[in-house]
Amino acid sequence: MQEIAAIAAPIKIRSRRLEDRAGWLGTLFLLPAVVYILALVGVPFVIAIAFSVTDVTVGDTSLDFVGLDNFRRIMNVDTMPQFRRALQNSFLFTLVAQILILVGANILALILSQDFRGKWLARMLIMMPWATPASLGVIGWKWLLDSKFAPIDWVLVQLGLLGPDTLLGPGSHMNFLGREGLAMASVIMVQVWRLMPLAAVILLAGFSSIDQELLDQAEVDGASFWRIHFRIRLPLILPIMSIALLFSLISIFGDIVVVFGLTTGGPVYYTHVLPTWAYVLGIQAGALSQGAATALFLFPVLLAVAILVLRNARRTEVT
Amino acid sequence: MAVVETRGLKKTFGDVKAVDGVDLTIDEGELLVILGPSGCGKTTLMRMIAGLERPTEGEVSIGGRDVTELPPRARQVAMVFQSYALYPHMTVFNNIAFPLRAQGGMPKLAIKEKVGWAASILGIEQLLERKPRQLSGGERQRVALGRALVREPQVLLLDEPLSNLDAKLRASARDELQRFQRQLGITTIFVTHDQIEAMGMGDRIAIMNKGKVRQIGTPHEIYHESGDTFVATFLGSPGMNLLEEHDYLLGFRPENFLPLEVGTTQDDLRKFSLHVTRVEHLGADRLIYGELADRAQDTEIVAKLPSAITTPVEVGARYDFGVQKQHLRFFDKTTGLRTNH
Repeated sequence: MQEIAAIAAPIKIRSRRLEDRAGWLGTLFLLPAVVYILALVGVPFVIAIAFSVTDVTVGDTSLDFVGLDNFRRIMNVDTMPQFRRALQNSFLFTLVAQILILVGANILALILSQDFRGKWLARMLIMMPWATPASLGVIGWKWLLDSKFAPIDWVLVQLGLLGPDTLLGPGSHMNFLGREGLAMASVIMVQVWRLMPLAAVILLAGFSSIDQELLDQAEVDGASFWRIHFRIRLPLILPIMSIALLFSLISIFGDIVVVFGLTTGGPVYYTHVLPTWAYVLGIQAGALSQGAATALFLFPVLLAVAILVLRNARRTEVT
Repeated sequence: MAVVETRGLKKTFGDVKAVDGVDLTIDEGELLVILGPSGCGKTTLMRMIAGLERPTEGEVSIGGRDVTELPPRARQVAMVFQSYALYPHMTVFNNIAFPLRAQGGMPKLAIKEKVGWAASILGIEQLLERKPRQLSGGERQRVALGRALVREPQVLLLDEPLSNLDAKLRASARDELQRFQRQLGITTIFVTHDQIEAMGMGDRIAIMNKGKVRQIGTPHEIYHESGDTFVATFLGSPGMNLLEEHDYLLGFRPENFLPLEVGTTQDDLRKFSLHVTRVEHLGADRLIYGELADRAQDTEIVAKLPSAITTPVEVGARYDFGVQKQHLRFFDKTTGLRTNH
């Protein structure tokens, strides 16, 4: 026994190193993420709530509690009709763009899942709008839709659709961004253009994950193309599709770039959405508290979407 | 129920000839097995009959109607895939009802009745509300079969439907499948690489290799009167022994190659002296591997002795074996085709 002890003694039992302590290590690795979320999401959120119940402005930064005054003020349709409009627009733009994106992305994904020459090029081109920085894309569209120099106007004139005695009226300019309906449609259209590629690629990945034998089986079972699409393909990629849907939902609902770049909320205030109105009110007009109150209206929707995304992420198995 | 015919059917993928000129006629109500090693083109052939693959050349007709250009849904064929391809998001009921709904215009009650009928002949009524992932392999196979039968198709195509079952289940599934097929009298094409399945189930068997049908006939015919060396060596476990002799190949099956002392008659025997190199005990049989003494080339010859034959056989020793002359087969050396000698 003694001999054994003598041999064992020189071997120094080292204390556990940091990398052996799973608990500590886990905390350490999580720390940057926690700091990031607290500093850049948590704190601003708390500040926004605090601002929304005070009378803080750019000129007077003292925080005096005013209860729900700010909410009452921004929701007053007579003195401030912009908020109601922005709220409506936020939902309308998101809903319409979302529907168009889903339909368009489905069609695109189906086309791209076929074999044809130049498929690689087509895929790359389709991804471009998404890969381009949003602000650049929007500037491009602003030019395309310009009131005087719009190339689209010129094309319409050449096609005989625009100008005196034509379908689209006597003038030779559509003035896309200067007319209420057209400006709203333009915003929706640019959102669709910007976000459809990502949705299409997500759906494409979903489609190509489906076992070919299932599709063959459906074909032998006598199903038409549409039946296969709606009864087999879509249900099978539903979890993946809902992720695509929620992503673009967040992207549109919280977006400020498209409206700001394209119309700056105009004509008048007809194309404002919640983020742009919050910015105009809170930063440009200096009413920080009212801007914060406006922005808080984004919260319930974004929260609901975030919960859905997380719930969905857990059951993305196709089969 | 219909006659299925293929005429000069070809399919090439790039440079590969997957199916290379197949002429087949499958009679009404017949169960034809297409047997071949993997990659022989049997699945491609079946997919062309189903309409999933467009032939490069040739024609397919079902019930006398040329269907070569028709999509699967216009052909009235049903198919069971190797994976069963059950729709994972649908219940068993909806899986079986799918082909009926796809036809369109069938009232709900009639669909329910039809699904009930298919489920009852397969004994899966109690599974109708389940999802495929809640089923065992055998149950999945029945559901797939039910979905195939529910439309009462003219032709039933089965692509290795038993290969995902364990050995025990496979035997009973074989028996069941054959019973349904007889009972319903559906013209059936069954693709497999398993010769036991093929021999046990087929009214006739078509043996395929490299895109071509090498021989077509009853299980008895193709086994005992194999048309060429491929069929002769592909069938049987182990396959036929082939010996080069003069200007032909001499063939005999391992189970006909027995120790002389076992034979009841010494007449009409072709005798060989076998130098035993290996013995495998397989339970029901013993496989004796060896070389023939009087030959230059070291051809390995196999004898298959049923366990009822207890003659001791030792590795390294030399024994006299013999084959009855009626069991000898002759093949052309260059073409491999059967000849008479």
